[in-house]
Amino acid sequence: MSVAFGLVAAWQLIAPDLGRDVAWLGWGRVRYAHTQGIMLGWLANAFFAFLYHAVPILTGRPVTSARLGVWIFALWNFAVMAPGWMLVLAGVSQPLEWAEFPLVVDVVAILALALAGVQFLPGFFRRGVESLYVSSWYIIGGLVFTLLSYPMGNVVPEFLPGAAGAAISGLWIHDAVGLFVTPMALAIIYFVIPAATGRPVFSHFLSMLGFWLLFFLYPLNGTHHYVYSVIPMAAQLTAIVASALLGVTVVIVVTNLFLSMRGAGLLPADPALRFVGTGTFFYVIVSLQGSAQAQMSVNQTVHFTDWVVAHSHMAMLGFASFAAAGGLVHAWQRMPEARYNARAITWAYWMLVIGLVGMVVDLTIGGLVQGELWKSGAPWIDSVTASRVYWVARAHIGSILAAGFIALLVGLTTGPRGAGMVVRPAPAADGHDEVAPRLAPVTEAL
Amino acid sequence: MSRAGQALRTSYLVASVAGVLFFALSVALLGAWPARLLEAQTAAMAPEKPLEPTTSEKRGRAIYAREGCAYCHTQQIRYLHADMARFGAPTLAWETRRDTPHLWGTRRIGPDLSRVGGARSLDWHYAHLYAPRAIVASSVMPGYPALFDGGPDRPRQDARDLVAYLESLGRARELAGPEGEARAREGCNCPDDEMQQMAFEGPLNAHPARAVRTREAAPALSGGDLARGQALYGRHCATCHGTTGAGDGPGARSLVPAPAKLAEHVYTTERLADVMWHGVAGSAMPAWRDYSTGDRAALALAVQALSAPRPEPDVPAHLVGLGREVYTANCVQCHGANGDGRGSAADKLTMAPANFTVQRLSLTEAVRVLREGVHGSPMAPWTTRLTDAERLAAAHYVRSLFRMTPAATEAR
Repeated sequence: MSVAFGLVAAWQLIAPDLGRDVAWLGWGRVRYAHTQGIMLGWLANAFFAFLYHAVPILTGRPVTSARLGVWIFALWNFAVMAPGWMLVLAGVSQPLEWAEFPLVVDVVAILALALAGVQFLPGFFRRGVESLYVSSWYIIGGLVFTLLSYPMGNVVPEFLPGAAGAAISGLWIHDAVGLFVTPMALAIIYFVIPAATGRPVFSHFLSMLGFWLLFFLYPLNGTHHYVYSVIPMAAQLTAIVASALLGVTVVIVVTNLFLSMRGAGLLPADPALRFVGTGTFFYVIVSLQGSAQAQMSVNQTVHFTDWVVAHSHMAMLGFASFAAAGGLVHAWQRMPEARYNARAITWAYWMLVIGLVGMVVDLTIGGLVQGELWKSGAPWIDSVTASRVYWVARAHIGSILAAGFIALLVGLTTGPRGAGMVVRPAPAADGHDEVAPRLAPVTEAL
Repeated sequence: MSRAGQALRTSYLVASVAGVLFFALSVALLGAWPARLLEAQTAAMAPEKPLEPTTSEKRGRAIYAREGCAYCHTQQIRYLHADMARFGAPTLAWETRRDTPHLWGTRRIGPDLSRVGGARSLDWHYAHLYAPRAIVASSVMPGYPALFDGGPDRPRQDARDLVAYLESLGRARELAGPEGEARAREGCNCPDDEMQQMAFEGPLNAHPARAVRTREAAPALSGGDLARGQALYGRHCATCHGTTGAGDGPGARSLVPAPAKLAEHVYTTERLADVMWHGVAGSAMPAWRDYSTGDRAALALAVQALSAPRPEPDVPAHLVGLGREVYTANCVQCHGANGDGRGSAADKLTMAPANFTVQRLSLTEAVRVLREGVHGSPMAPWTTRLTDAERLAAAHYVRSLFRMTPAATEAR
């Protein structure tokens, strides 16, 4: 659904009269539905699904309550996503990026996130924090900090004027990625790699170092969305410095991840590992790009252009969606009841890779062309006409991406039951023990 | 529990507290502290009685927010000379004090709108909102026909509100005037802060399309490439003036006054240079200051080429002398004694009266204008005051006032 919204918006840029007489198909509204859908509809649902697989293994005990799970699912999909989409398309929204669902939906979303905390977190604390694997930390951090940042980003700027509101809004734009999407995606990657390779991660110390640095630095990044603005320069510079440091941190994290994958080859045979490996690759690229584009000299040219659109696609699709897809495939491989279509998954992987790389390259070049034309003083419309070729390419590439997501859906819903099984279900009730030792807790490394 | 386990537990506790503190720090350092500083700045730099938004403007703002306009049009001019040259002075905190929630935006597909107020005429906005490509051929903006009652000339309240909002953008600072700027500069108290000082350099509104009513001469145009001019004309002018210059482009339908029938006029190059540089204040004709001198010269050639040379009609013998009489009795107050559009009443009119020395209408067009007036301008129909013969004589007379310059003669 969210990809379809994106595709409509992409086509509207090259055929602007598409949906002209249908108010709810207005470009702005469709774009609201696209980004909120990707983050809350696709990624959040995929993350929650993965948590039901990972949390019992990581904690050694079931989640709090199956009934609560039904409630969270119902709240998230029928009280957040469905009304959220309907309301923004009907014109009831807030014009805040990555926070377009109106306040009434925000309230339910916060409630659902709190319930998710109740559902997934108690087991970690009962197990004892000294023996938690890094994925557990990312899950705790992601849920706790999203609960803090979501109200800050979705509610506060609704009531703060102009520049001050933009400052908070900028924080959320980054916290949504940094404190919700990134921790959950990394929890999956850190989980899947050792479980799939059968070896512990390269360094538990580096994994924990990366974890804490990410949580220290990510929140301080937000103001880099408003460089050269009236927001105090000290705040802008803080964010720019934090952005550079964040790049360093990500290099630490990704080095650790790649070293953990060594021997698996460039293109691992296990599709789950292939997805998370590719996601890790895009993660380091997108993070270093982010560090670079926060710098003032780069920012003044690429800010406001399609370069940034390419950047956010690499983050939400290249990094987070690949991790989420890897997590789902990994869980599917361990569920005897799950239908699984290996060919469709392979197709999905390749179409998503080709689509993403194509879109990033296309929009990055388009963004540079726009930035240079703006600086040249040429009439504004020249930058629009010059963009057209890149937008045409993007709309077509978008179809490849949509096909990739459909293939992923097909791969996880068709085919024989249990076709993806790589691990026989454990004979005993403590089936988690088969995987758990490989996710060796930090204490064992000491 | 082992000592190592205990130590780890303690360090995780410290780290967790630190993590929460870093989040709190981010909110304090990048959210709350800037908010307080901006509030203080607003108090110190805002004019004493800043313009407040009207109900209509507030409603228009809600529509702007609802339709996601901010996702293509930013409202934040950065402290960068490239931004300032294109859009005007950087956005000050006080200008955004009623901007709740903010609409700064992070992507510019269309231009920044922080100072779009006054840059376009109302009829231009309506026609453009209704069907953007009827006005700007290569625009990718969606049309908003739902804001209208079937046509661009029939805006519903929603369209009026939205345009009222657009017209309010940048107006508060503009109306605050030099006193407001002086107050802001003083309140800023930042004589050594190079970046903040940029807020006060350069023109407040640099919108290249903003029409200006002035007698200042525009940069002169000469030469030019006719083929390029015709291509540019097709892309940028034909939407209103029509491909043949008959004033019948798709955008012309709702514009008041109607776009000039270029093919019915002979223009001096100076006149065209002036119109393209200053626009026509009081009409939908914007300025085209962002086009290079070469492009404007080429466009001037293309426009001059639209009116085919035709034999000059002779003044009928019985009307000789009558034209001058009629003109002196009825037209000089606005159009001036020698037809240069500088009559005693000219400055008080919303639109500058035609200057007949730099443009000559065809005889049929001149007669038509005298009979029908120019709807949307102060030029009224002259059917009650003047007879057919008098109007014909006046038409001949105003045509005789044209002074073709050597450059234009050569071009033709």
